[in-house]
Formats: sequence, C-alpha cells, structure tokens
Amino acid sequence: MSGPLADLSYRHYADGVVNDRAWWAIARNGFRGTVKKKGFWVLTAMSSWWYAVVLVMVYVFEQIAANSIRQQAQDRAVDFISSITWNRVILDGVSFGQIFYLFLALMAGAGAIANDNRTNALLVYLSKPCTKMDYLIGKWLGVFLPLVLAMLLPQVGFFFYGAMSYHDYGFLRQDPWLVLKLPLLAMIMAAFYTSIVLGMSSLFNQGRLAGAISAAIYFITNFFTVLLGGIIAAGASMESSTTVSTPLKLAFYGSVDGIMIATAKGILGEDQGGLPLGGPQNNLSVPALPLWVPLLFSLVVAGLLLFLAHARVRAVEVVK
Amino acid sequence: MAVADLRNLSVQYGSFLALNDFTCAFPEGCVGLLGPNGAGKTTLIKTLLGFVDPAQGTGTVMGADITRERREVRRRVGYMPEQDCHFPGLSGVGFVAYAGELAGLPSNQALRRAHEVLEYCGLGEARYRNVETYSTGMKQRIKLAQALVHGPRLLLLDEPTNGLDPKGREEMLDLVRDISHGKGVNVIVCSHLLKDIERTCDEVVVVFQGQLRRQGNIRDLKRLEGVPMDVELKEASADFVTELLRRQMLLIHQDSNHYRVQSDQAPDQSGRMILEAARAAGAQVRSYQVATRSLEDAFLEAIR
Repeated sequence: MSGPLADLSYRHYADGVVNDRAWWAIARNGFRGTVKKKGFWVLTAMSSWWYAVVLVMVYVFEQIAANSIRQQAQDRAVDFISSITWNRVILDGVSFGQIFYLFLALMAGAGAIANDNRTNALLVYLSKPCTKMDYLIGKWLGVFLPLVLAMLLPQVGFFFYGAMSYHDYGFLRQDPWLVLKLPLLAMIMAAFYTSIVLGMSSLFNQGRLAGAISAAIYFITNFFTVLLGGIIAAGASMESSTTVSTPLKLAFYGSVDGIMIATAKGILGEDQGGLPLGGPQNNLSVPALPLWVPLLFSLVVAGLLLFLAHARVRAVEVVK
Repeated sequence: MAVADLRNLSVQYGSFLALNDFTCAFPEGCVGLLGPNGAGKTTLIKTLLGFVDPAQGTGTVMGADITRERREVRRRVGYMPEQDCHFPGLSGVGFVAYAGELAGLPSNQALRRAHEVLEYCGLGEARYRNVETYSTGMKQRIKLAQALVHGPRLLLLDEPTNGLDPKGREEMLDLVRDISHGKGVNVIVCSHLLKDIERTCDEVVVVFQGQLRRQGNIRDLKRLEGVPMDVELKEASADFVTELLRRQMLLIHQDSNHYRVQSDQAPDQSGRMILEAARAAGAQVRSYQVATRSLEDAFLEAIR
C-alpha cells in the first residue's frame, strides 16, 4: 500500500513546529462557530433595539429643535436632549438587552461541553497535548469572546454616534470614563453568562437540555425579580424609594438578570434608567447595591459553576 | 528501546483493582494487547495516556513519564478510541484539521496534513461531509485519521475493527499493518479478536485480570514446548512409527497419515531423524515442519 504518508515528512512537525496553544485553537473554533451563525447577528442586532429607539427619538427631537417654527417646541426639544443622562440610556440598553444576551449565551455555550459529552469528543481533546484547563479555558473563551462582541457592538456604536453627534448635549462631559466603563461592563456580563452556560453545559449530554435548564433558571429567577420589582415599585409610589430595605434589594437583584443590572448600575454609577419623559419610573428604580456585592456574588456563582465543569470534564467515567 | 515501559503499575476504580502490579516493556513495532473483556486492556491504554492516575507504580511512554509529563506523552502518541467520537458539527476534514491544531500544528499545516491522512485512510470526497452522517466504517477511518494527523511516533488503537463488516475489517487491518510495517510508526493494538492481532502484530502482550500473563513474539507463543514436529506421509505406515520409536522419538498423536512427533533434539536434527525413519520404513514424506498451535490455544493457555 502506498499513500501520501509514505514520505514521512510529517515527522518534522514534532521537531519544533508544534506549539502548546490548544486552548487558543479551541477558543478560535468556538468563536468561529458562533459568529458564523446568522442567529448570532440577528440577536446582536435585536439586543440593540433600545439604542436604536433612543437615537431615533433624539434625532426627531433634534430635527424639531432645528426646524420647528414654534419657539416653545424648539426649547422643549433642546431641554429634552440636554436633560438626557446618557449613562441611564445605557443602563436601560443593558437591561433590555438581557434576554437577548441570554439567548446569545445559550447559542454560543449551551452545547459547548454538552455536545462534546454526547459525541465523546473529550476522548479526542484529552488524548492530544491538551489539558483539562486548556480545554476549559478554550471553551470559556470560545463563548466569552462572541458574547463580548455582541454586547459591545451596540454599546460602542451608540457611544461613538453619541460622541460625534451629541457632544454639545454633554455626551462626553457627563461621564468621561464611559468609554472604559462600557468594555468593562461587557466583559463582566459576558464572563458571568459564559460561566453559567458552560457550568450547566458540563452537566448534560445534550446541548438543548443544558440550554433549556439554563433558560429555566433565568426565567424562574427573573419571575421573582419582576414580582419583587412590582412590590417595590408599589411601595415606592407611597414613600421614597430609598426606604427599600437591604434584604428586599438583595432579593430583587437575586436573579441572573438582576445581578447583571446591579453590576451595570454599579459601574455606570446610576440608580435608575429612563429618559426624561415624565411618567412613572420603571422597575430599575430599586436603589443600587455597592458594586462589590453583585461582583462578589457573580464571582462566587461563576466560580462554583466553573469548578463543577472542571470536575465533570474527564476523558473516562471513573466509578468510585 | 521500549515504546512503553511500565513498572509495578496498579490502577484502582474504588475497590476494584483494574491493573494489578503490572510490569511490562512494550517493544517497538506492532504489539497486540490481548485479553478477554474486562481484562484491563482499555484501562492500560488510558493509563498510558494519563486519563487515569495509577494508585502505584511508574511508567514511561516514548521516554516521557505517564504521570508527570502527560502533555509530552500525548504529543508523541496518537489515540484511536474504541467508542465513536467526533467534534459536533464539523466535516471530516474540519474534524481532523482541528485535531491537528489541538496537537499543536499551525492551522495551515493542520489542514494540509488533514487532507493527507484522510486520503491515506481512504475517506476521499466524504471528507467534506459532516462526520455525524458517516457510516460505522467511515467513523473508524476518521478516528484513525485524527490519531495520525500530528505524526505520532506511537499509535494506540483500541479495538480498531469494532463494528466493521468483513470488507471494512480487512481494509482497516491493511491500514494498521501498513502504518506499522510500511510507515515506521509504532503501534499498540488493543483487541480481543485474535485474528486481528495475528494479522497485524509481531508481538503480543496478554492481559488477564489486570495482570500480565504472557508477552512475546507471536511465532514464539505459538510454538509448542519441546519443539514437536508435524509430519505428513503419503500413506499411513506402522513401520514408520516403529522406526521413530527406535530413534527415541516420541509419537504424540497420529491422525491417519499425519503424525506429531517429538524428540529432545534441535529441529534440524529431528528433521534428519524423521527422514531417516521414513527411508528405513519405506514411507514417503510429503512434508514436515515444526509444529505450532493456534494463537487462540496460546491465549487460552495464558489466561487459564
């Protein structure tokens, strides 16, 4: 039998061409696999709907300010744009984007380990010069990087559009650090979602099942968040929102969605979102927690799930 | 040089001792790892790869320690698992190229190399299809291709003919034989199919109940103790038996014109004595040769 292996030239690969970056190969493969999906871009676009709405509104008001024949309308339009707190707009954008971030995380990560369990791919991964840590780091980055991209794209787009178009309305002056806060926020959120879906993924042999359970946890915890939000909002309408007790605040933020909103509030330095349109406050008006609280909580949850994933990832099922 | 050298290796799953004080040096070439189901073959392979930690003992694979230098071991070794395995959602060429990248090849070379090994393993145009649509035979081939992609010096093949039809089995065995005898790659084939081992390997290691039972060249293992000779005459002859006994040769058994005889002499000398006995008895010798037994007999004796 003769074949292309006959020259044995591949033996030279063992003499210096090889590298030890299996984790990067895994991350790249995960990233490529996710960004190739149309759904990824559709969800990314959908997650930015709030920024689009705000930009359209501001554009309309800007046109009114420039072109209206009524001075009063011009003044009200300028007042509206000037009184926008841009960090609040971003806080709203982050909040309204949570559901899409969940779907993006599920798309990128629910099957990341579960499908490998199903197809025995771990036998191949771990029989190569690739350790469990390489595997987990690679898988984590393979989910994290597309999520950061998806979270950052709308925010960065909004930031640069705002910086160029609305600097006269205080866009850059209000928070000079916003340009750094946005990537920081995106990375923290992406890291949290990534750790959750990877941890869940490692527990199952079916990506869909892992995704369904992750989504169920998200929605069930979020249900209580919304319920508490309603109770708090009702209480706040009777008295000052600052009287919300700490346990109630903690409970309000005790969901995937809630932890991320609390983190966003801490980083953006805003207690609530909303445009200066008058009317009732939205359910983001629960006072923020100190930033370290959601950060510590998300760190513990993420660490726990990653520890679980580390324990579950193995090439052979060892019965003790 | 031994491709794998194990000293007093014990592996435990809870209270079950899967490998018990296993000491063995696997020589270069193609070695068959034989044993009945549950003998510890797969555990041994997985220990070589560092998938399971030995409770005691040491070992090296291609000179690298199996507990301390696992990455180095896996760089030098290619592993074809028994179970179906693939990366979900990838085509054949994508799967093998990705396996090459995991092994440390730059992506462009991994792709080139993937095409080479897939061609070699006979996957042709099927390489562009999703692996999940492959037949059993194709899955076996692609598992072999991913094990070969980084140019390992040692291949560990766990039941490579599992689930194959007779034609696929023949082709797989041809590939394994070519890899070990034509391409200079050391191979350890783990199987309970004696014919597969006999077809591809020069040496065997027999494992039973987690212990090494027998090791050596297949020809030596098949050879019977005392160097008996099988003789075939044109016709059965009582005089021939008389002449044999006169020359202090022992008749082990006779079946019509087939005789198995034994002497305390070397095979050459025994052969001469057989010819002399036949001439004296006026019998015509059709053939004579050193008697051997089947590998199955040797195996059964080893695990008895």
